[in-house]
Amino acid sequence: MATLLQPEKVLYLVRGEKKIRVPLSQLYFCRYCSELRSLECVSHEVDSHFCPSCLENMPSAEAKLKKNRCANCFDCPCCMHTLSTRATNIPAPLPDDPTKTTMKKAYYLACGFCRWTSRDVGMADKSVASGGWQEPENPHTQRINKLIEYYQQLAQREKLERDRKKLARRRPFMPQAFSEKYGLGTRLQRQRSGAPISALYGLSLKEGEDQKEITIEPAQALDEVEPLPEDYYTRPVNLPEVTTLRQRLLQPDFQPAGASQLHPRHKHLLMKRSLRCRKCEHNLSKPEFNPTSIKFKIQLVAVSYIPEVRIMSIPNLRHMKESQVLLTLTNPVENITHVSLYTCEEEDPDDINSTAKVLVPSKELVLAGKDAAAEYDELAEPQGFQDDPDVVTFRKSNKIGFFIKVIPQREEGDVTVAFKLRHDFRNLAAPIRNTEEVEATSEAIWLTHHVELSLGPLAT
Amino acid sequence: HSDVKIAAGAVVCVESDIRGDVTIGARTVVHPKARIIAEAGPIVIGEGNLIEEQALIINSFPENILPDAEDIEPKTMSIGFNNVFEVGCVSQALKIGDNNVIESKAEVGRSVILSSGCIVGACCAVNTCEVIPENTVIYGSECLRRVQTERPQPQTLQLDFLMKILPNYHHLKKTVKASSTPARS
Repeated sequence: MATLLQPEKVLYLVRGEKKIRVPLSQLYFCRYCSELRSLECVSHEVDSHFCPSCLENMPSAEAKLKKNRCANCFDCPCCMHTLSTRATNIPAPLPDDPTKTTMKKAYYLACGFCRWTSRDVGMADKSVASGGWQEPENPHTQRINKLIEYYQQLAQREKLERDRKKLARRRPFMPQAFSEKYGLGTRLQRQRSGAPISALYGLSLKEGEDQKEITIEPAQALDEVEPLPEDYYTRPVNLPEVTTLRQRLLQPDFQPAGASQLHPRHKHLLMKRSLRCRKCEHNLSKPEFNPTSIKFKIQLVAVSYIPEVRIMSIPNLRHMKESQVLLTLTNPVENITHVSLYTCEEEDPDDINSTAKVLVPSKELVLAGKDAAAEYDELAEPQGFQDDPDVVTFRKSNKIGFFIKVIPQREEGDVTVAFKLRHDFRNLAAPIRNTEEVEATSEAIWLTHHVELSLGPLAT
Repeated sequence: HSDVKIAAGAVVCVESDIRGDVTIGARTVVHPKARIIAEAGPIVIGEGNLIEEQALIINSFPENILPDAEDIEPKTMSIGFNNVFEVGCVSQALKIGDNNVIESKAEVGRSVILSSGCIVGACCAVNTCEVIPENTVIYGSECLRRVQTERPQPQTLQLDFLMKILPNYHHLKKTVKASSTPARS
C-alpha cells in the first residue's frame, strides 16, 4: 500500500516556459505571482560554499582561489570516499641519542571503504596530523597561467575596442550636450560589464595602463614522438593496476593510467543555492548561511500553500467499467479552504496523458484549516461540516477522503486520469498597499491547477 | 557427544550455535549468536580468528546434490589464522587462508578460495569459482576489485580485549585439551 503514497503518482502541471508535470513536493509557489514554479522556471544562484566532510564555510573569493576545493579534506582516488587520517607508532631514533629509539607517531591517509592507503602510491607518512599532505604539481602550470594572462589581456583589449567603436558610431547621432547628460549612464553601464572606467575621450589613459605587454611563444610542434615500448602488444595486462575511466578523469591534470600513480586530491566543495522567480525577481528559497543548519530563511514551497491530492486506495480497474478510487485532499494552510474539482474539457491542450474518463464530485469540498494543536486535543469537537456520504468518506482535522469514478478507456496499459483542481488562496504577502488600509484581510483569489494521477495497470 | 573440539585458550560463548565436527584453534574468539555448522563435512578453524555475532560459517551440501543421494565424500572446510568474520557475514568457502577479513553481511560462496590478506567488503557477494589472489580488496556494490600493498593487520588488540571481557558476561563452552595421550607405563 505504501506504493500508492509515492509522490510520482500525482503530478501537477506547471505552466512555465515549458509545460512540466512534477509532483507537488518538488515545486515552489511564488506567492507574488500566485503561480506554481518548478526548478526549470526559476533562476539558481550560488549562496555559499562549504566542504561536505568538515562542514567548513568558505567565502566565494577564497573558494575561487582554491579552485573550489577544501584545504583539509581529501578524496580517495580509488573510490571517491573521504579519506581519514590514521596514526601508527613507529620507532624513530631520538635526536640526542641515536642508539635509543622512541615511538613517534606517523600519520597516513586511509579510506574506510576500499582500504586504499597513502602508502599504496608511495607517499611517505607525515609527522603532522593535518596540513602535511601536498597535491602533486602539474608540470604545465606555468605555461597555462601565462597563456591565461595573455588571453585575458587580449579579451580586455578587444572589449575596449568594441566599446569604443560603439560609442564612436553613436556620436554623430547625439549632440555633445546630450552625451554629457547621459555620460553617467554610459559610465555606469561600463562599470557593470567589468571593463575599466575610462573617460570617453581618454583613450590615452588605457594605453598607459597596460605597460607590460604579455607575449607568449607559440607552441612548438615536435616531429619525433616517443616510440611505444617493445612489448606493448604482447605484455599481459595487469588488471588491478589499470585505472578506470572515472578514476582517470577525476584528475584531468595527470590522467594516470596506472593505479600506483593515483594521488589523492582535495575534496570538492558543495554549495548552497537560492532560487529566484524569473518574473517577479522575488526569492523563493533561501537557505541559512551556516552549513550545519538545514533550515531556510525563505521557504516558499508548494506543499505549504496548495492542497495536496494523494491516492488512498484503488480497486480493480476494468476496461469500460466504472470503479471508485479513493483520494485524500490535505489543506496546508490555517484557514478554511474551498476546493472544487472539474473534469478536463474535450479539447483541453493540457490533457494529453489521460487514458480514462473521470467523474469528479460536483459539489464544492470544504477543508478545515490546519491546526497544529489538534493532534494533542483528544476532545476535539466535531467540525460541523455537512458532508455528502456518497462523496466524502472521512474527515480528519485538515484532511478529507473522497471518491472519484474512473472508467478506463483503453484495454491495455496504465490508467491515467486528469482533472482540474480549483481552490481559494489567501495571499498574506500582499504587496505594499496604501497605509490607509489598516486591516489586512486579504482577498481570496481562485487558483486552478491541472492534476494528473497515474492509477497503475488494469486488473487482469 | 558433540564433536566440537575447542582448544585451550579459545573463547567460545555458550550462546553460539556450533554443530557437527568442528575444531577451533587457540586464541580464537567466537561471539554469542555466531553459527558454525558442519553439515557436509568437518570444519577446522585455526588460531587467532575473530568470529562476530550472527556470522554463519557453514559447510553445507552443494545445492543440486541431495544429501542421501550418493556417497559423497565429506570435504573438510579449513580456515587459517588471524581471519575476521564480521557481523552477519556468510562464509561457505571451503578453503580460507590467513589474515583475511570478511566484512559485515558479505557472502562468500562454496567454490571460492580465499588466499591471504583478502578483504571481502561489506554486502559484497562473491560466488565465482576461483582463487582470489593475495591482498585483494573486493568493495562496492559492483564488487570492484583492487590490490592493496599490505595485508590487513591482525586484530591482536581486539582479541586480547575480548578474551578478557567476554568471560565476564558470558558463559563459555568447555575447552578440550588437544589430543595428549597420557603416558602409561
